[in-house]
Amino acid sequence: MATTVALYNIKGGVGKTSAAVNLAWTAAEEGARVLLWDLDPQGAASYLLRVRPKVRGGGAKLVRGKRDPASLLKGSDHPRLDLLPADFSYRKMDLALDATKRPTQGLARVLAPLGGEYDYAFLDCAPAISLASENVFAAADVLLVPLIPTPLSLRTYDQLRAFVAKSVPKPRPRIVAFFSMVDGRKALHRSVVQELAGDRGVLRTTIPAASDVERMGSQRRALAQFAERGRAAQAYGALWTELRGRLLA
Amino acid sequence: MNTAPRTELLLPGGVDASTAAERLAEHLAVVTQRAQRTDRTFWDTFDGRLHAAGLALVDTGSRLALTDAQTYAEHAAADLPRGLRRVAAVDLPPGALRERLEPIVEMRVLEPTVRVRSRLLPVNVLDDLGKIVVRLHAEEPTVLPAEGEKIALRARLNVAGVRGYDADYERVLALLTGDLDLQPVAQPLHDEAVAAAGRAVGGTSSKLRVALTPDMRADAAAVAVLRRLLEIIEANLPGTLTGADTEYLHDLRVAVRRSRALQRELRGVFPPEPLRVFRAEFRELQILTGPTRDLDVQLLDFPDLVATLPAQTAASVAPLRALLEQRLAAERATMVRGLRSARTRTLLDNWRDFLDALVASAEDERPDAARPISDVAGERIGKVYRRMVRMGRAIEADSPAEALHDLRKKGKELRYLLEFFASIYPAEVIKPMVATLKGLQDVLGRFQDREVQADALRALGDEIAALEGGAAALMTMGVLVQRLSEEQAQAREQFAERFAQFAAKPQRRLVRQIFG
Repeated sequence: MATTVALYNIKGGVGKTSAAVNLAWTAAEEGARVLLWDLDPQGAASYLLRVRPKVRGGGAKLVRGKRDPASLLKGSDHPRLDLLPADFSYRKMDLALDATKRPTQGLARVLAPLGGEYDYAFLDCAPAISLASENVFAAADVLLVPLIPTPLSLRTYDQLRAFVAKSVPKPRPRIVAFFSMVDGRKALHRSVVQELAGDRGVLRTTIPAASDVERMGSQRRALAQFAERGRAAQAYGALWTELRGRLLA
Repeated sequence: MNTAPRTELLLPGGVDASTAAERLAEHLAVVTQRAQRTDRTFWDTFDGRLHAAGLALVDTGSRLALTDAQTYAEHAAADLPRGLRRVAAVDLPPGALRERLEPIVEMRVLEPTVRVRSRLLPVNVLDDLGKIVVRLHAEEPTVLPAEGEKIALRARLNVAGVRGYDADYERVLALLTGDLDLQPVAQPLHDEAVAAAGRAVGGTSSKLRVALTPDMRADAAAVAVLRRLLEIIEANLPGTLTGADTEYLHDLRVAVRRSRALQRELRGVFPPEPLRVFRAEFRELQILTGPTRDLDVQLLDFPDLVATLPAQTAASVAPLRALLEQRLAAERATMVRGLRSARTRTLLDNWRDFLDALVASAEDERPDAARPISDVAGERIGKVYRRMVRMGRAIEADSPAEALHDLRKKGKELRYLLEFFASIYPAEVIKPMVATLKGLQDVLGRFQDREVQADALRALGDEIAALEGGAAALMTMGVLVQRLSEEQAQAREQFAERFAQFAAKPQRRLVRQIFG
């Protein structure tokens, strides 16, 4: 069965999609068979991989089990990375899930038949805390949380950990975080990273706020395809190595 | 991940990968990437079991992957230590690859069959978003034979779809096979490479497969069968010497035994004096290889035998296994010395020369030489069958074991005659005869094997007792010998019924009718 890693944060704009695409690509490059599910109706991950954000029958049929998810997969430009694309209908995912018999298990049910085909499944989740998020908590082995190194986002992270520990039924996903969009020129970023990296489930590797990452939008490619030697690509490589070590531990 | 369609096309003669890429760019939105070089070694058993199962085993240097033979879609893979020259399935790391391979290759080792170096030029077909929707690889393969010059093969174009982009795959394939008139490859790359390297595609068979006609001269028919048997002996000799696996020796011995049966049964087509010498020499060859084969069988059967024991006693037979292995090593050394000797080489060379010259040689001492093979073989088949019927009828409940052993030997003789000459008689006669004979031989074989195995174990008793842990092993051996004796007794009980089927009246009548 695939190990499911959900890129999740209540806040948007923290680098979830960049991390999902680059980690998935790196894992595939290493030889793993990887699935990336773009769950965000904005379809940014699909856009970056040059796949139309369209799912036949929309999200409702998918979570209701009316569509074979395998028939909706799209191969990416990496031969070992497949994408389950986004669809604009995912904005109504909560309604679709709520209409099913087991509303918190809808996403897990979609992933189940695909699990045997892949070593890792990455979920690029929409920023929210909702029924869809509860589904993510039920489906994921690991919640991977990108954090901007500010006190406010740390507070949100602590709230998330408390929520999962208290309200999510077992088996709960492990929560792992990493600092994202780190600006080394900012004293605040530096001090938060220094204080917390390697602690409270936060990985040591940090992802810099680099122009390469922004260029992904115009390049529509993973970093490894156009800026392999850049700081950001190297950082994602190191992040994957550290995360994979945690997954195995 | 393996659900995307793929196919392989031949590029026109003289068109290399770069030219192909340029031509494709005239028709499709493509991006050509940097050329890569790959080295692949294909593996199989000597007798091509993977080939027969529609599979290919591909070694890319440090990784061994089992794939579909046509599409090279991967079924299972494992890491492989570099520089390995052969491997048994049981010695592979536990996992999917080993699980898939074990039931197919059984006791045969896997060995490299051919090495192919390719220059690959990846050409990706893009859609309007600039995404790869079909992957093309123009490939220039070269065979790297174990000896001699490299052999360039015709360039190929591998066409691989991308999951979820089937329509694009169909569009590109239609263009390639329609407008550009590319033909599908006739055979997978590794088969073409094996053939180019001068080896047998699908491995070396040790099956007889000789087509005869009823009116053929008997000596010519005998030569055709014996030449094929000599070919099998020669083909299996190198593997027998290295001892790569047990089947080389087994197939060699079967071919020697079949040769001896034919020498005996069709003796009227050979001049008596040279035949006497060859028969004696072939007998020596059989004797030389016997003890090694017996020990091979004991060790091959060992796991099954131990599996019948309770878990706590199973461990106590370790000294027995070690002793058998030690014996085997000593017997093998003797056998290898004998097989490498000038005597064996001379025998095989002289035998070939003798067969080559036989049909043209004088016929005064060869009364059956020019008779039609259907007459000569028919006489023998009828005679051996009737002899077996007489021998079997004489066997009572208290007859000695030798009587059953002798019947089994005759049965082998009949079995070989039927195998050699099946093609010249109607299948509706041969088939039921082979079936009832096989039923009888199975029982007789089990009867004898159990006795041989029990005797072999008993013979080891004194030696085992003297070893460390020997007492426990000896007690377990007692259990094993007991079990073998029980199985032997069961086989004997089944004999009467199987023999009755073999010697039933309708069958006797049919034999008289067809074989005279």
